[in-house]
Amino acid sequence: MKNQTWRFVITGILIVLGLVGFWNTLKLWTLTEDDKARMEELKPGSVNELERKAMRLGLDLQGGIHVVLRVEMEKLDEGARSEAVERAIQVIRNRVDFTGVTEPNIQKQGDDRIIVDLPGYTDAERAEDLIGQTAQLEFKLMETYDNATLLMGKLDSVLAEIKKAEKGDAETDSPAETADEKAVTGDISQLPEADSAADDDDILADLLGEDSAGFLEEGLFDSEDNPLTQYLETSLYSSKSRTPWPGYYVLAKDRKRIEQMLNKPEVQALISDDLQFAWSTRASVRNAQEIYMLYILKNKVQFLGKFLENIHLGRGQFQEHTVDFRLTGQGAAAFARLTGSNIDKPLAIVIDGKVESAPIINSKIRNDGQITMGSGANMDDAKDLEIVLKAGALPAPVEIIEKNVVGPTLGSDSIRKGLVSSLVGLLLVIILIGIYYRVSGVIADIALMFNIFFLLAIMAGLHATLTMPGIAGIILTVGISVDSNILIFERIREELRTGKTVRASIDAGYSRALLTIIDSHVTTLITAGALFLFGSGAIKGFAVSLFWGVTISLYTAVVITKTIFDIRKGYKTLSI
Amino acid sequence: MFRIIRETNIDFIGHRRKAFVFSTLLILLGLAAFVMIMLNKANMGIDFAGGTMLQGNFETAINIADLRDAITSNGFPEASIQELERHEVENSYIIRVKETVAGEMKAVDRLREIIEERFSGNKFTRDSEHTIGPAVGESLKKSARWAILISVLGMILYIGLRFDFRSGVAATIATFHDVLAVLGIFFLLDKEITLLVVTALLTLAGYSLTDTVVVYDRIRENLKKFRKKGEFVTTVNNSVNEVLSRTIMTSLTSLLVAATIFFFGGEVLHDFALAMILGIIIGTYSSVFVASPIVVEWEAHAPKRFK
Repeated sequence: MKNQTWRFVITGILIVLGLVGFWNTLKLWTLTEDDKARMEELKPGSVNELERKAMRLGLDLQGGIHVVLRVEMEKLDEGARSEAVERAIQVIRNRVDFTGVTEPNIQKQGDDRIIVDLPGYTDAERAEDLIGQTAQLEFKLMETYDNATLLMGKLDSVLAEIKKAEKGDAETDSPAETADEKAVTGDISQLPEADSAADDDDILADLLGEDSAGFLEEGLFDSEDNPLTQYLETSLYSSKSRTPWPGYYVLAKDRKRIEQMLNKPEVQALISDDLQFAWSTRASVRNAQEIYMLYILKNKVQFLGKFLENIHLGRGQFQEHTVDFRLTGQGAAAFARLTGSNIDKPLAIVIDGKVESAPIINSKIRNDGQITMGSGANMDDAKDLEIVLKAGALPAPVEIIEKNVVGPTLGSDSIRKGLVSSLVGLLLVIILIGIYYRVSGVIADIALMFNIFFLLAIMAGLHATLTMPGIAGIILTVGISVDSNILIFERIREELRTGKTVRASIDAGYSRALLTIIDSHVTTLITAGALFLFGSGAIKGFAVSLFWGVTISLYTAVVITKTIFDIRKGYKTLSI
Repeated sequence: MFRIIRETNIDFIGHRRKAFVFSTLLILLGLAAFVMIMLNKANMGIDFAGGTMLQGNFETAINIADLRDAITSNGFPEASIQELERHEVENSYIIRVKETVAGEMKAVDRLREIIEERFSGNKFTRDSEHTIGPAVGESLKKSARWAILISVLGMILYIGLRFDFRSGVAATIATFHDVLAVLGIFFLLDKEITLLVVTALLTLAGYSLTDTVVVYDRIRENLKKFRKKGEFVTTVNNSVNEVLSRTIMTSLTSLLVAATIFFFGGEVLHDFALAMILGIIIGTYSSVFVASPIVVEWEAHAPKRFK
């Protein structure tokens, strides 16, 4: 008697709790896009609020980006290591917040890894740049054109030598002879050609719209003698003093070739320690051809980006995108000194080793400055630079070791499939059990639906993340839950066959099957626990739904069905 | 009462020798697959081996051979290319390569470049991409090993507590038998061993153990009842027969759900469901033909009353 009442009370409380837990999720799921728009109009942010309270959908279901980063600890001093990951997380969180992703999940994994989940965000390239950029903003000066030209000449001749030697190996030529020859021709041919390119050709090409890059390529210069410079075209010069600077156009398709050349040890040996070659951040289009810029910079950092304040987007004199900033105190003084003494020279704006742009300093800048974006830059590029500068630099370089991008259509496709397979599976089982065990089967079916309801409610209440494997876990729960009832019903049938009364058979069936049911649940719970501890992402979702599903089924399949059987106590027959 | 199976009296134990031969073959196959995995020669998914996966669709139909040729001849000789059938979006393909970088570029960018070059004019839309560095693969392998170890130890411990030593060992053997058999079949079918497949293997280990436990529970109960009268073999055989209808009903419902995942669950869960289906079939077989006969054999060679 008492027992029975308690069972009703507990089940009732569970149902209410389930409804409460599930309420927000149910509300969200039943909203149409129009409803959402209306809600947002009435109370801005309310849809986000609801999404936060509802069951989360994994990246595989709603689309988004999952990135695992490794902080390169080995590049840090001992002392800086302990806090590096936490600080990196802080910086990344700041940057992500600027993008407006609603529910980003940024967490530490292990000693040196950071997981970044951006649900709903599918611009992989942008996210990667934003998260991974160490964003060291530095201002650097350039090598003079004459020195650069000399250097290039040397590099050319060394490269020509190497080339000749390689060829010589094949043709069994005398390497000594060719080396001498090259050293001379390299020096002579280098200077005038670069000058002409700088002074006349470029202007001409610009005026006439002539494809000067193409003309370079056609081999006006002897490519044997100028393996490197044949791909370069001087692009940067100060109009006031008509001095060229070592910034070169390079066709995008030649970039790799040039990198290979520059990376040769013989070439590296010639580049002095206070110089560096640097590429432009992105490609731009010139004369219908994609080009990169190659700069020769002085290594010394003249000024650091951390002094920049009040960073915001702006427009330059030709309506190009700019990131404007303000300088105060020490920073302002230093910047004024730097710009004052280098008027009419280019100042390279270097971010993470790449040159954003290299504007010529027009006048002394004291308080208000402007970073002119390269010509290939669009609004997003400017915005990203702004974000990165605002949120600060990462304390250490990071490396992306895993990246998973799920497109939004794939996500919704997964949801549909998950839903269809769950419903079909559930329906088939309900029909099978109903036919096979008649009224008792229907009772088991009711318990099964309670099981799924409670499972969804708990997962919603705990803000667990529903993933595609998680849906599989829910469906498998159906199998396990039904197994408990099959065990009980088969036992009851056996007891009935031995001639026991209905009442006695039901009681015996439940009590005898209970131990076996607990056994089968424990083995599944062990698996779910192990998967939860060691699984990642989607697998964890599977473990969570399996764990709760199995735990709940112990209650629904045993207690709820028994309660229903016990409602009618005095019956003589049993439909099973 | 609607019953598929009337009271049966099949001599399952009598067929045990035949079953042992069959099961030994399955186990050997599984062990071979296991060794190949250890030697890194199996078809490991990119989540373990590291690599790049790119899924997307073409605007108009293409020839898969063209796609395969374009990719294998451009620096990815070991690429695996698969067309997605029964997929909502037509002309969808999954490309998997072992590389994460191609020269200076990321492998995924290079793949898209190759596709754009070969199929210019036929727009390729990316649905999903996944790049896993070798370091992540290593740590996933480590996690998978721990998950397997912990769940296997946990199950053995539980069985050891609930039953006696012999049935604990026999149940463990039967469980390993099922997992190895599915692993072996996956290896034969050249299916990728992914994290999800490992998850399925662990889940079906739990499932198979449940099946075995149900039979053992009944054997133990019957041995108590018929301690004086019955022969050991007869008791075991009767127990298997008594729970047979449950075994079949449960397998049937579990198969129903696994099959719906297989047919309607989409690409992600396809192999997972396949492993479950195979596991349910083999697990049912093993609870009848492997787990109990081992106890019988043991008793025959070293008589001791089954507790």
